[in-house]
Amino acid sequence: MAQLIRPTAGCALAWGWFSVLIISALAAPWLPLPYPPGTPDLLHLAAPPSAAAAHWLGTDGQGLDVLTQLLFGARTALLLTLPVAAGATLLGAAIGATAGFWGNRGLRVPLPAALLGLAAAMWAAAVPWLLTGPVVLAAGLACWPRWYRRCPVPLDSLLTGTGTLLDAVPRLVLVTAAAGLGASGRALPLLLLFTTWPETARLVRAQMWRVRVQPFVEAAQAAGLPPLRVWLRHCLPHALIPLKSVFPLSVAGLLGLESTLSFLGIGLPPEVPSWGRMLNAAHSDLGAWWVFVPPFLALASTTLALAYIANKSKHSFNN
Amino acid sequence: MNLIFRLLPWLLPAALLGGCGAPPPAAAPGTVRIRWAHDPESLDPLVQPNQYATEATNLLYQSLLQIDYQAQQPAPALAETLPTTRPEGDSVLLVTYRLRPAARWDDGRPVLAADVAFTLRLLHCPTLPTEGARAQFGFIRALLPDPAHPADPCRFVLRCRGQAPEFALATGDFPILSEHALDPGHTLRRWPLAALADRPGTAPPDSALARVGRRYLAAVLANKLPGTGPYRLTQWQKDHRLTFERKARWWADSLRPRPAVLLARPHRLHYLVLPDDAAAALALRRHALDVYPQVPAPLFARLQAAGPAARLAAATAPSYDVLTAGFNTRRPALADAATRRALARLFDADGLRRATQAGLGLATVGLVSPVSRAFYNDSLRPVPFAPAEAAALLRRAGWQRPSAAAPWQRPATRANQPAQKLTLTLRYRAGETLFETTALQFRAAAQTLGIGVTLLPTEAGALTEALHRGDFDVYVRTLKGNPFVFNYAPILHSRAVGEGNFTGFGTPASDRLIEAVAAAGPATKAPLLRQFQALLQAEAPLVPLFFLPTRLVADRRLRGLAVSGVRPGYAATALYWPAAPAP
Repeated sequence: MAQLIRPTAGCALAWGWFSVLIISALAAPWLPLPYPPGTPDLLHLAAPPSAAAAHWLGTDGQGLDVLTQLLFGARTALLLTLPVAAGATLLGAAIGATAGFWGNRGLRVPLPAALLGLAAAMWAAAVPWLLTGPVVLAAGLACWPRWYRRCPVPLDSLLTGTGTLLDAVPRLVLVTAAAGLGASGRALPLLLLFTTWPETARLVRAQMWRVRVQPFVEAAQAAGLPPLRVWLRHCLPHALIPLKSVFPLSVAGLLGLESTLSFLGIGLPPEVPSWGRMLNAAHSDLGAWWVFVPPFLALASTTLALAYIANKSKHSFNN
Repeated sequence: MNLIFRLLPWLLPAALLGGCGAPPPAAAPGTVRIRWAHDPESLDPLVQPNQYATEATNLLYQSLLQIDYQAQQPAPALAETLPTTRPEGDSVLLVTYRLRPAARWDDGRPVLAADVAFTLRLLHCPTLPTEGARAQFGFIRALLPDPAHPADPCRFVLRCRGQAPEFALATGDFPILSEHALDPGHTLRRWPLAALADRPGTAPPDSALARVGRRYLAAVLANKLPGTGPYRLTQWQKDHRLTFERKARWWADSLRPRPAVLLARPHRLHYLVLPDDAAAALALRRHALDVYPQVPAPLFARLQAAGPAARLAAATAPSYDVLTAGFNTRRPALADAATRRALARLFDADGLRRATQAGLGLATVGLVSPVSRAFYNDSLRPVPFAPAEAAALLRRAGWQRPSAAAPWQRPATRANQPAQKLTLTLRYRAGETLFETTALQFRAAAQTLGIGVTLLPTEAGALTEALHRGDFDVYVRTLKGNPFVFNYAPILHSRAVGEGNFTGFGTPASDRLIEAVAAAGPATKAPLLRQFQALLQAEAPLVPLFFLPTRLVADRRLRGLAVSGVRPGYAATALYWPAAPAP
C-alpha cells in the first residue's frame, strides 16, 4: 500500500515521459515547427541535423523533417493506440466478466428467442434460406406452450472458442492479410480492436471465476439479490482490478504492432507520419543515424515506460 | 575424445561466429545473378506488362532486330542484315528482310517468313489482349514475298502504311513465334493481315481465330511456347527468383563471326526479385548479387564510394526513361486541359530532379529526350513549379473555392449532375522512393491550394490492373523510350485507351498527329515531333517531369558490361567471368 502512496523515481520518470509524450502529441499541430508533416524539403534530402536549415533533427531520404515526423508520429501512435486499447479493454472486460460469471449454463434464454437469434446469425452470414427457414420454423413451433422452455447459452465456450480462433493466427499475419485484401488505413483501428480483446477477456474471465465463489458473493446471492446486480455491484469491481496493469501493456503491444505495420508499409497511408515508417526510411539509408535514433529512442522509451507502469500497478495490486 | 569434449565449448561458438561472418557461396562458374525490383508478372511475348517481362522474353524469344548495347543501335538478330527500304508512291514504305538461313527452332525447323506472317496475324487476333502491340504495329499492312527472290522462304517484304524512316527498325521489334507449334493447320493464313488489322471490335467471333488464341494462351500459361532465344526458363518462383538456363545447342552457336546481339555467354542467369534497395545493395556488397541495375542516386553514390574496396564497378549514362505524371482524363474533373495544365504546375520537376538524381537527369518539355536534339522542341519551356499560377488557372477553368476550408468546386456540365469537387487520388508503385517523394511533393503543393490528395501506393501487379481499370485520378510512373522509334500510339492514341493509354486521352487531332509522327519521312519528322510536344504540353494528359539517368553497379570482375541509355541499360547475355571462357 505504501508503494501506491509514495512514487519512486522510476515511476515518476515513466509517468513524466508518458505525460510529455501525450502533451506533445496533442499539441503537435499548434507547435511552431518549421516544416509541416508530409512535406518534403527537396533542398535537404537525408541531411544531418542542422540549425542553419532549421532541421533540428535532420531529414530523411525523402526530405521529410525528422523532428516534425517524430512529433506527428507520436500523435499518430497515441491517437491510434489509446482508443483501440481502451475499446479492446472495455469489450474484453465485458465479454470476459459475463462469460466468467454465468459460465455455460448460468444464462438461460427462451428457446424461441435463441432459435431466432441463431436464424438472424445465419441470415447475416448469408446462409441459404433452405437452411435458415427450418430454424425460423422451429422458433415458431417452440412458442407452443408444450415445447416452450428456456435453454442455456454457452457463453463461456463461445468466448474461449472465439479467443482461441483469433489467437490461432498471429495478429500481425491477420492484420497483414486483411490489408492485403484491401482493408484501408481507416479500417486499421477496427481491425486492431477486433484482434486485441480476447487477451483482456481471458484475464477478466479467470479473475471472475475466482471472485464468484468468494463468501461475499455467495452471501449476496443467498440474500436474493438479482444476478445482474450481484455481477455489476459485487463481482465486477473485483474482477476488473488486473486491468490496471494490463491496459498499459495493451497500449505497448499495440504501439509495437502499429510500428511494425508502418515499417512494413501496411495500414496507414504514406502521408501519415509514423515511427515505424521513420524506421523504414532509416533502413533504406543506413548511414543516416539521425533518421533511426529518434524514433528508436521514442519507441523504446515509451514501451519501457508503459511496461514499468504496468509492473508497478501489478505490484500495488498484489500488495 | 576427452580433448574434443573440452574444446567443444570453444569450437562451437567459433564455428558459429565463423559461419555468420563467412561470405555467401559465390555463384557457380558461368552464372550471373541480377537484381530485379519486382516480378515480371507475365512471360507473354506479345503482352509485356513491365520492363522485366521484356527482359525475360528477350532471352526466350527473338525479334528480327535487337539492340546492340555496345554500339547503342539496333542490329540484325533473326534477320541476316538490317532491312532495306523502298518508298512506294507517297504513303507506302516497303521494308525488305532476309532471315538468317541458320535460324532454327528448337526442333530443328528453320525460321521462315511464314512464321513472321503468323506472328503479325496473331498480334491482331481479337481474342488476345494485344491492343498495345496492335497500336504499335498496326502500320504493317501486309507481308509479301520478295519479288526479287520469290522462291526463297526466308525473304519477305513488309508493306507499311506511311514512310517513317524508323519503320525500318520498328518492323523488326516483335518476337517471332512458331506457326508450326501454334497453328499447324495454317488456319490464320486465310486472313489477309490488313483484314485482321481493320477487323472491327463488333465483328462476329471467328472460331478459327479463337482456337489459335486459346492455344497460344495455353502455351504461355504453361511456359511451353517455343522460342528461338538462347535460354529456357527452368525456375520461376513468383516474387522470388527466375532462372534461365543456356540451351546446350542453340542455332546461333554455329555463326562465325558471332554478332554481339547473338552472344549468350552466361550458362545460367539468375534474376533475384529484391524489392528493397538496401537489401539489394547489401547483397551486392556481400557478392551474393553480381549486377544491380537502376540504382537509386543516394545508394549509387555510396556504392560508388565503396567501389574499389568492395570490388564493385559503377557506371552511368543518360537514359530515355522519363518520370511521368498522368491524369485520368475520363474523370469529369480532369476532362478539361485547363485543369490538367493547372495541376501540372504543382509538380516541382526541377527540384525533384536535383534532389533525387544528385544532379544527373535531364529536364524536358515532353516525351522526346533533349539528347535527341533534332527532334526536341527547345522553343518550349518545361512546365514550371508555380502553385500561384496553378490557382489562377484553376479559377479560369471554372473552379471556385467557397471558403478557405472548403474544397475547390465547379458546377457540373449537365443539369442533373452534382457539382464537381477537386479531390484527387494519386497511385504509384509502392516501395519506390522516387515515386513516393514525387507523390509527397505534389500532395504538399496541392495542399497549399486546398486540394486534397490521397496517396495510394500500390503493389506492381495491382497497379497495372488499377491503371487498366482507370481506378485513379493521377499516377506517377516511368515511361521507357529509345532513340530509334517515335511511336506514341500505344500510350496516347485513342485506339489504345484501356490498354497502354491509361490516361484515356485522345482527340481526332491528337490521333492524326500521332499517326503522322509515326509515318513521317525524314523531312517532316522533326517539325511534326515538335508540334506533338507542343500539343502534349497544351493538353497535358501526361506531364513528363524529367529524364532519368541509367545507373548500374556490378561486380568489378564481371566482363562484357556495356552500359547504355536504352533499357535495361546492359546486355545480360554478353556478361561473363574472366575465368569462364565464353561458349
